[in-house]
Amino acid sequence: MSDTPSHRPVESMLPKWVRGPQDFVGGVALIAIALFALWASSDLQGTRGFSFGAGTAPRMFAFLLLGLGIAVMLVGVLTEGAHLATYAWRGPLFVSLGILSFALTIRPLGLVISAFASFLISALGTPETRWKETIIVGICLTAGCSLLFPYALGLPLQLFPRFLLQ
Amino acid sequence: MKLYSRMLVGGALAAAVGLSAIAAHAQAETYPTRTITMIVPFAAGGPTDVISRIVTGHMAQTLGQTIVIENVVGAGGTTASARAARAANDGYTLITGHMGTHAASVPLYPSLAYHPQKDFEPVSLLAGTPILILARKDFPPKDLKEFVTYVKANVEKVNAAHAGVGSVSHVSCQLLNSILDIKPTGVPFNGTGPAMNALVGGQVDYMCDQIVNAVPQINGGTIKAYAIATPERNPSLPGVPTTAEAGLPAFQAQAWNAIFAPKGTPAPIIAKLNAAAVKALDDEGVRKRLLDLGSVIPAAGQRTPEALAALVKGEIEKWTPVLKPATN
Amino acid sequence: MADLFSNLGLGFSVVFQFVSWSPSWLGGFAIPIPVNILLCLLGALVGTLVGVLPGIGTIATVAMLLPITFGLPPIGALIMLAGIYYGAQYGGSTTSILVNIPGEAGSVVTTLDGFQMAKQGRAGPALAIAAIGSFFAGCVATVLIAVLGAPLTKLALAFGPAEYFSLMVLGLIFAVVLAKGSILKAIAMIVFGLLLSMVGSDIETGASRMAFNIPELADGLGFATVAMGVFGFAEIIRNLDAGAEMDRQLVQEKVTGLMPTKKDMIDSAPAIARGTILGSILGILPGGGAVIASFAAYTLEKKVSKNPSRFGRGAIEGVAAPESANNAAAQTSFIPLLTLGIPPNAVMALMVGAMTIHGIVPGPQVMQKQPELVWGMIASMWVGNLMLIIINLPMVGIWVRLLRVPYRLLFPSIVVFCAIGIYSLNNAPTDVMLAGAFGLVGYWLIKHDFEPAPLLLGMVLGPLMEENLRRALLISRGDWSVFVTRPLSAALMAVAAALLVLAVLPALRKKRDEVFVESEN
Repeated sequence: MSDTPSHRPVESMLPKWVRGPQDFVGGVALIAIALFALWASSDLQGTRGFSFGAGTAPRMFAFLLLGLGIAVMLVGVLTEGAHLATYAWRGPLFVSLGILSFALTIRPLGLVISAFASFLISALGTPETRWKETIIVGICLTAGCSLLFPYALGLPLQLFPRFLLQ
Repeated sequence: MKLYSRMLVGGALAAAVGLSAIAAHAQAETYPTRTITMIVPFAAGGPTDVISRIVTGHMAQTLGQTIVIENVVGAGGTTASARAARAANDGYTLITGHMGTHAASVPLYPSLAYHPQKDFEPVSLLAGTPILILARKDFPPKDLKEFVTYVKANVEKVNAAHAGVGSVSHVSCQLLNSILDIKPTGVPFNGTGPAMNALVGGQVDYMCDQIVNAVPQINGGTIKAYAIATPERNPSLPGVPTTAEAGLPAFQAQAWNAIFAPKGTPAPIIAKLNAAAVKALDDEGVRKRLLDLGSVIPAAGQRTPEALAALVKGEIEKWTPVLKPATN
Repeated sequence: MADLFSNLGLGFSVVFQFVSWSPSWLGGFAIPIPVNILLCLLGALVGTLVGVLPGIGTIATVAMLLPITFGLPPIGALIMLAGIYYGAQYGGSTTSILVNIPGEAGSVVTTLDGFQMAKQGRAGPALAIAAIGSFFAGCVATVLIAVLGAPLTKLALAFGPAEYFSLMVLGLIFAVVLAKGSILKAIAMIVFGLLLSMVGSDIETGASRMAFNIPELADGLGFATVAMGVFGFAEIIRNLDAGAEMDRQLVQEKVTGLMPTKKDMIDSAPAIARGTILGSILGILPGGGAVIASFAAYTLEKKVSKNPSRFGRGAIEGVAAPESANNAAAQTSFIPLLTLGIPPNAVMALMVGAMTIHGIVPGPQVMQKQPELVWGMIASMWVGNLMLIIINLPMVGIWVRLLRVPYRLLFPSIVVFCAIGIYSLNNAPTDVMLAGAFGLVGYWLIKHDFEPAPLLLGMVLGPLMEENLRRALLISRGDWSVFVTRPLSAALMAVAAALLVLAVLPALRKKRDEVFVESEN
């Protein structure tokens, strides 16, 4: 809600009349989402007689969101509010990369490689990581998952790369 | 059976000239050497899943390898079928297809990512589940004849429930409606459970559904059944007449389940799988469990890959005219 | 009454069945083994352990563990499954409290105050009160099923599409009341959730909606995918922000008592009782009742509390009420299955599947034809709840110790577990990527002070609301008056309207209160 001193507000690129940048940008984003949804559902059939069409509800909700987005934006213009928070790049980047690498490698390379790689990549997300300890924990975790999911739970997960199996 | 599979192996050898065929043959000799994955395109616990588990449990003993069931749900089973069509054709990925995924899907989904005939090798038919015409217990018509006249006369008023677009209850009801040449209001539900609940609660008038879900309700008197859409009466519902007996012989529908392999799976492997499936269907224990579910077990002549190929062809031809207009 | 006792007696005799085991090395000496009790214990234990893995909710846990019951005799299998079900349900709450990841819709609300409590070093009391509340709710609901199961079935059948739509409207209003910040932004989040729930295929025509030809989107966004993103991944990313180390340090050092204090118990007792009643009633309604139970209970607590501003900041009632409600609902949702043989939700559908695999086809006559099964299951519910409290109270210490693992090691582990969990739901890599994307969306939402809980609730309610509205209008041939002419539906609408007024009035006065809260800090 409030600005703590450690979160120094970003030098606002927004014009002076925007008194609550956080809400203003939030509202604008909601408007964008609503417009995107309106475009994405534009090919769907609307109401036919007494029966709703496929597109009726999505468009209804999109219009509602559009209205709410505008309202949130106006709140940002009219009332004094919080500044934009600072974004870190390291955490989001490496956690996303870790997730992405898991998604891309689980099928071709199997659980062992995929889980271990994903663990290490995610660990890059913080400067606090101590590598020796991280690698040991990563190995233990991978071994644990490899026993837990395919064996204990009987899930159809492949452990090793596909090309090694053939 | 052994003779039959030898014949097939011989046939494959004669037809194959290249090295690849010999390699495939060598592979087929030892098949299966590891776990086989059977994709089931519906959630665990549904009729297709139950039938698959009963039959593959026995097949695994014959083949000497574990068969893992992988439930892949989504888009009326077409997500799973598309994945199976793209899987390696080495006999280690199979799918239990059914009436919806391997026949009705063709007219229902114009942008289907696979074709049941072109992308799959048929293995064996497993079991069929008969379809019944059901109605809420206080629906006025007393028998099928009255039902037909009543529904035709009150088409503006009656509601037909179904378990979602592409479900067995949906496509079979479409068939019934097209035979009766009516277009009643269809009320969609999310699965057979909620649809049955609405029928028991009297919120909707009639629906077509698989026998598994309906038998206990009919016996309990919470709903009534007009007819069963198979050539013969079912032992679990001896009092329910067939559609032919009740005066609507044109309405014949069964939710069949069958094993398919990706296109190009070596013939000897198909033969081994077929033999295992046939053996399972002849097993007393398996038969009893399937019959308890109200299923119909295919006769010996219907269990060959050729018979399954013919069934798929016939079913696509049957469903296409019925379901085409519904998607537009 | 006599009937009831003989029935319950039958049930308990099934559950406490002893099988004598005489291994040769004991030389003919037989040991009686309470097989079904052991199966129930094993089920509850395994269910808890799997349910506690982030990313794996109740349905996924039951689906995963279903095959291990196939080899058992029917009654044993069902008793074990019931144990798995309660275990998974409870395991989902544990992740909500410890790492802010709800395993399913019912535990979204638990994150609001549960995770705040954990942040204040009170994860122990939060977990313990969840177990105690669940146990109490379970006991009450068991008796309720035994006494009133059959008559309550009528209520489930009286609920048609019109009533469900009205119930969902009421649910949306509950979701608004949950908000701790700006009401406007909470409503915006609900609508965003509703919009997200529209992705997938249209129920009536099967037309693909906003799915952009991505096959994994054909059936819509999964609850687990979005929940894992906006709660789990987003929370991790936020914790990695510079400056957040201090907070985390505090959490680890602050951990105080493991068990609730006397004051906690006094505060929670009425909340548990109210949650149990609400949950028991709503759980009976198939198709969505149980979803609403937990946040109806939360809303009620917030409304009756003398100091509503404590909610969302670690109020123990905010954990006790929804946890009791969702357990009571989980229990009473068996009623339609036991009396009608109709599965009211996905978990129950799995149970029916298990029954059919064992050759039992549940139906309206299951109570007469297989009384030992039905009453055995009812008795096993109580035993299952007892097992849960026996397993979980001692485990509270272990879970809390988990929070002491340095965050630099904990967070990559959570990422990997979540990724495997989401992948295993459908074996779809795309789901994992979607969850990652929602993690970034969630991070952005946190930065702009939007709450993720209303978004998730909107997402869960959206399809139920739209589908029932359309069904109701199809059946009434487009006549909108059904929602007020059918008495049950009209009553629900009236409650919704009243709640809306109650919710909006204080919002108008809110600005002033807010100033007070801020200056207190």
